Amino acid sequence: DSSVYLRYIFNTCFRTVEPLEYYRRFLKENCRPDGRELGEFRTTTVNIGSISTADGSALVKLGNTTVICGVKAEFAAPPTDAPDKGYVVPNVDLPPLCSSRFRSGPPGEEAQVASQFIADVIENSQIIQKEDLCISPGKLAWVLYCDLICLDYDGNILDACTFALLAALKNVQLPEVTINEETALAEVNLKKKSYLNIRTHPVATSFAVFDDTLLIVDPTGEEEHLATGTLTIVMDEEGKLCCLHKPGGSGLTGAKLQDCMSRAVTRHKEVKKLMDEVIKSMKPK
Amino acid sequence: MPGDHRRIRGPEESQPPQLYAADEEEAPAARDPTRLRPVYARAGLLSQAKGSAYLEAGGTKVLCAVSGPRQAEGGERGGGPAGSGGEAPAALRGRLLCDFRRAPFAGRRRRAPPGGGEERELALALQEALEPAVRLGRYPRAQLEVSALLLEDGGSALAAALTAAALALADAGVEMYDLVVGCGLSLAPGPAPTWLLDPTRLEEERAAAGLTVALMPVLNQVAGLLGSGEGGLIESWAEAVRLGLEGCQRLYPVLQQSLVRAARRRGAAAQP
Repeated sequence: DSSVYLRYIFNTCFRTVEPLEYYRRFLKENCRPDGRELGEFRTTTVNIGSISTADGSALVKLGNTTVICGVKAEFAAPPTDAPDKGYVVPNVDLPPLCSSRFRSGPPGEEAQVASQFIADVIENSQIIQKEDLCISPGKLAWVLYCDLICLDYDGNILDACTFALLAALKNVQLPEVTINEETALAEVNLKKKSYLNIRTHPVATSFAVFDDTLLIVDPTGEEEHLATGTLTIVMDEEGKLCCLHKPGGSGLTGAKLQDCMSRAVTRHKEVKKLMDEVIKSMKPK
Repeated sequence: MPGDHRRIRGPEESQPPQLYAADEEEAPAARDPTRLRPVYARAGLLSQAKGSAYLEAGGTKVLCAVSGPRQAEGGERGGGPAGSGGEAPAALRGRLLCDFRRAPFAGRRRRAPPGGGEERELALALQEALEPAVRLGRYPRAQLEVSALLLEDGGSALAAALTAAALALADAGVEMYDLVVGCGLSLAPGPAPTWLLDPTRLEEERAAAGLTVALMPVLNQVAGLLGSGEGGLIESWAEAVRLGLEGCQRLYPVLQQSLVRAARRRGAAAQP
C-alpha cells in the first residue's frame, strides 16, 4: 500500500523533471501514459445546437480539449470580383480562459495559424459552394461568420475546430429571403427556415512526431510540447485529400505519410458515424 | 474589418436579417416579478485552469476560469504597516485582474471580436465586486487572473458572470471571506412600472432601467452595485436592491452544492 503510494510520487516527480524520458519509456511499449495506443484517439463527444442566439452551433470535446463553434448569418453585398458568391468567414479565438499560455488582446500567432487553417479547409474542401450563399447576384448575399472559441486547450485543436465547424454548419438554418420587385428591398421570412447544402464532410486527423521517427495520433498538450514536429491531414468522404498542414518540424518519409493518410481515412469514418448518430437523435425543429 | 490584418477578412459591412423581417417579436409574457430562473452550476470542469465554473440560468450561459497566483507585473511597491492576521501591508497586496468577453454569437446581433468599451466596463464591475471577497493580503506581489466568457446572453449576463467568477475563485482554492452572488433586475416600463427579478433578454431590451447587485450571502454585505436608466422614485430603487439581495440569498444553496460536488469529484480523481 505504501509502496504503491511511493511509486506514484516517484512517477509524478519523474514526469515533471524528465518528461521526454518518461514518454520514451511508454512509447517503447507502443502506448502512452494515458493508456492509449499510438493510433488511438481520445474520447470524442459532440453537442449540437446548444446556443440559441446563434444560427448554428456545436461543442466538440476531444478528451479535455473543448472547442465551441457558433455561426451567425448576416446580409452583405457580394464581392465585386465574384458577384454571384457569398462569404464564409472563420475566426479561431484562443482566450486566456483555455490555457495560461495565452494572454488577452489581439489574436496571437497560434490563433492566426488556426484561423488560416480553417479558412483553407473551407476553401479547399468546398464544404459549401459560395454560389449557394448568393441571394441576388451583385446585390445581396449571405455572410456566414463562423466563430470558434477554444474553451479548454489540451492539444490537437485543429481536429476539434474542424469537427466543430462541420457540425455547426450542419446545424445552421437560414430563413427564406425574397427580393421585393417594387421596393428592391429584401424580405425575410423568419418562420420558414432551411438547412445549408453541405457538399463534403472534411475531417482532420493530427499527428505528432517524436524523436524524428515515431508518429502518434491526437496529441495532448503535453505531447505537442515534447514533439519534434506535427502534421495535420484533412480528408473528405471519398478519400480525397483536402488539406495537408505540416508547419516545419522533422521530415517524414513517403511511406510514413501514406500510413498517416490511411489512418486519416479510418478516422473520417469514425467521425462521420458519430455526427450522423447525433444529428439523427436530435428532434426536428 | 479593413484594418485588422490578424483575422480573416470578410465583407466591409453586413446587416442582420432580423432588420428585414416582417413580423415583430412578441412582448414578454407577464410573470411573477420575484421569480428566479432555475440555475445549473458546475465547478471544476476545465482541465487547464486552476479553478473554473460554468453557470446556466435560463438562456444565459457563462464560463469562468481563474489562473494564478502569478507574479504581478509592475515592479516593487512600497511597504507600510502590516495588516492583521499576517497579511501583507496595503501597498503589497495582491491584485485581481478581471477580463470579461462576449462570444461573437452570444447576442441577437453578431459582435466582432475586439470587444470595446462595454466589455471593459463590465470587467471593472467584476473586479470591484470580487475584491471585497478575496483575501488579497494573503497573495503579496501576486496577481490572480479571472476570465469570464459569455457564451449566450439570455438576460442578467453580468450577474451570472459575477456568480461564476466567485465560484471559479473558490474552486481554485483562493482564500476568500465569502462567495459573491449576483442578481439582475430590470424595470418594466408602462403605466405601473415594476421591478422584475432575473430578467430575460426580451425583458432587458424593453426595460426603462436595469440594475445588478452583488451580495456576499454569509456576511450579508453588498459587494457591488451597477445600475443605469430612468427609474423614477428613489424608494423604488431601494425596493429593487432589497429584491435583488433576497434573490441572491435564494441562489446561495445551489452554489454551495456545486462546490461540494466539485470537491468530491476532485478527491475521487486524486486517488492513485
